[in-house]
Amino acid sequence: MRSRDFLTLEETSREELREVLDLARDVSDGRLASPLAGKTVCLAFFEASTRTAVSFELAARRSGADVISLSENGSAISKGESLVDTVVTLDSLGADTLVLRHPAAGAAKLAARHARAAVVNAGDGRGQHPTQALLDLYALSEAFGGLDELSGRRVAIAGDVLHSRVARSVIPALRTAGMEVALTAPRTLLPLETDVWDLPVLPSVDAALEWGAEVLYMLRLQNERMTGGSPLVSSVAEYAAYYGVARRHLRRGVRVMHPGPVNRGVEISGDVVLDERSLIPNQVAAGIAVRSAVLALATGVAHEVAA
Amino acid sequence: MIRNPGQNSELVIRHARVLDPSTGLDAIKDVRVSSGRIAEIGDGLRGMRELDADGLHLFPGFVDVHAHWRTPGREDEETIESGSAAAAAGGFTGVVMMPNTDPVVDKPVVVSGLLRRVERESRVRAYVSAALHVGLKGERLTEMQLLKEAGALCVSDDGLGTPSAGVLRNAMLYARTAGMPVLLHCEDHTLATGVVHDGAAAALAGIPGSPASAEDAATATALVLAAETGAKTHITHVSTALSAALVRFFEDRADITADTTPHHLTLTDDLISTLDGTYRVNPPLRPEDDREAVTEALRDGTLDFVATDHAPHASEEKELPLEEAAPGFLGHETAFAALHTELVLTGKLSLSRLVEAMSCAPGRWVGEGGSLAVGEPADLILADLSEGWTVGRESLSSRSWNSPYLGKNLTGRVVGTIVGGELVYDRMGARFGVRA
Repeated sequence: MRSRDFLTLEETSREELREVLDLARDVSDGRLASPLAGKTVCLAFFEASTRTAVSFELAARRSGADVISLSENGSAISKGESLVDTVVTLDSLGADTLVLRHPAAGAAKLAARHARAAVVNAGDGRGQHPTQALLDLYALSEAFGGLDELSGRRVAIAGDVLHSRVARSVIPALRTAGMEVALTAPRTLLPLETDVWDLPVLPSVDAALEWGAEVLYMLRLQNERMTGGSPLVSSVAEYAAYYGVARRHLRRGVRVMHPGPVNRGVEISGDVVLDERSLIPNQVAAGIAVRSAVLALATGVAHEVAA
Repeated sequence: MIRNPGQNSELVIRHARVLDPSTGLDAIKDVRVSSGRIAEIGDGLRGMRELDADGLHLFPGFVDVHAHWRTPGREDEETIESGSAAAAAGGFTGVVMMPNTDPVVDKPVVVSGLLRRVERESRVRAYVSAALHVGLKGERLTEMQLLKEAGALCVSDDGLGTPSAGVLRNAMLYARTAGMPVLLHCEDHTLATGVVHDGAAAALAGIPGSPASAEDAATATALVLAAETGAKTHITHVSTALSAALVRFFEDRADITADTTPHHLTLTDDLISTLDGTYRVNPPLRPEDDREAVTEALRDGTLDFVATDHAPHASEEKELPLEEAAPGFLGHETAFAALHTELVLTGKLSLSRLVEAMSCAPGRWVGEGGSLAVGEPADLILADLSEGWTVGRESLSSRSWNSPYLGKNLTGRVVGTIVGGELVYDRMGARFGVRA
């Protein structure tokens, strides 16, 4: 099977989503031993990352791949080599799959244009973070009893949609899975033309629950949005009151998700993070299986071993 | 190199479809060029040197008031030689060079140095815009009177907006004292915090957007101050419907003019979805509604003319994710073909208005060129309006290739450019004949 890039979830079909989740389930159940044996996976992180980098590295190693890790410290990246030159170099060294994190949207697409290796987007700027949305979908499917059980359920995405690559992957992924999506955030944290997604914009987390949200997907509010020269929110207290999730919101048994790292006391109160209704640990745990599946599909070995 | 033609420099261009909106001429005619000037336009003219222009159109040469030839400082991207070659290939016989070079053109000695190089290296007429403020920093005024004496045509901080209304007002009053037109890039940097138009395409792609208000608020400020100070003011690269409407409000002020670019007339922000650094430009490509309003404003004369904002960039500045790429497009070589293809052939703009907007009106602003009246300099071009061509790297004379039209098929092409009677660009070759 030929290799393929994972750059965006904007055009991904329901069947393609199902393929990744099914394969991730196989990985999780131990039915996919060392699918990447003899393959080389290169992790090129042009932007600081802890959980995504670790998750990809574990996924690649447990799949049997040789792993090369480049981060912004101590590599050509820090010496000012351009993205394209780094990509071409890694390609020439024989990388089969290139996992790329970069601060600018479109970096993964640009890399894919210059690489023979399959490119997996591990987050680019405010653009896309497809493996995050896939692992979210995996965690949701597990919680609700399968991908088909998600259809018709309502999810509210709360917080900084404007600056969020997670939102730009999660929105199309959840909708393709059949979920109804709403947003809640102050207008300073939404795109000027929110209509592009044709989603309801609700005034608060409380309003989202009234709307019937069974899942609250909280986005991280970065500190610089609150301070800086032209702050986008007034105060932590006001933000938390309208767009944060607290224990009182959990009474109806809603599920809470967050891509991490969380700001306790801002978008999520401390006692919610590890509550049993929080799917946050499930999301992190899903990361390895889902990324193993993505790497297997990207490298083009999934079908040989799963058959 | 514009050489002074000798006595034997007479040339008769025969059977061209001569279109000159400045004189109202639109007919198949013969044009006699003598001693670098238009000597006679009529029927049945003969001469020692003849050029058979049967099937070709003949226009006054285009004039581009907004170009970056990157000299001095970035000669890897463009030089006066290559920039003027690109201009000649696109039919531009006069070009204004913007001052955001390294060093900035903010001292008389830089102006005179540039003009000496123009004399040696340029195939077309090239004019110098000096800076409005020292270092383009919006603080200290440049020595505009001395800059003018050194040969500068106008003043501009192009590439940047002006930091405050108060600073701009003083600069306008001072420029009026010096008798220098002010060319303004209108952008409020407190609003323009992104890299593309803040619209639907930016929201989906996740590229930081700058709102249209960044241009509109700055344009409104500039227009109000121009009207109040009486400074001769030109608003360059108008790209939004509202900015065009604001310019329209001041249309009875002859000393206030405005232009828009070929790319804002032909391309829209849906190209953001490519995430390709090629398509970053400032002001950014706008949505279709803006493109239509700007086209209408050019058609009805609200926007006086077209200027290309020819902005060469090395490939390493463009082969990047969109938000990291340098803003700017090549403009000279595709301007006419793109506008002819997208606006004239689709019936949105008459050929006559296009020629007026590319030749006559900017020629009047510069004070030279843009007319085929007898006695005027023989700055003219021949174009084959039926020639289809594909824009390719190899076909470009510029040192750079950051054209948003690469790979596009366009219809209509300049085949010959004459400056002061001298043929500076020629894809006609065989059409020349010398009568025995």
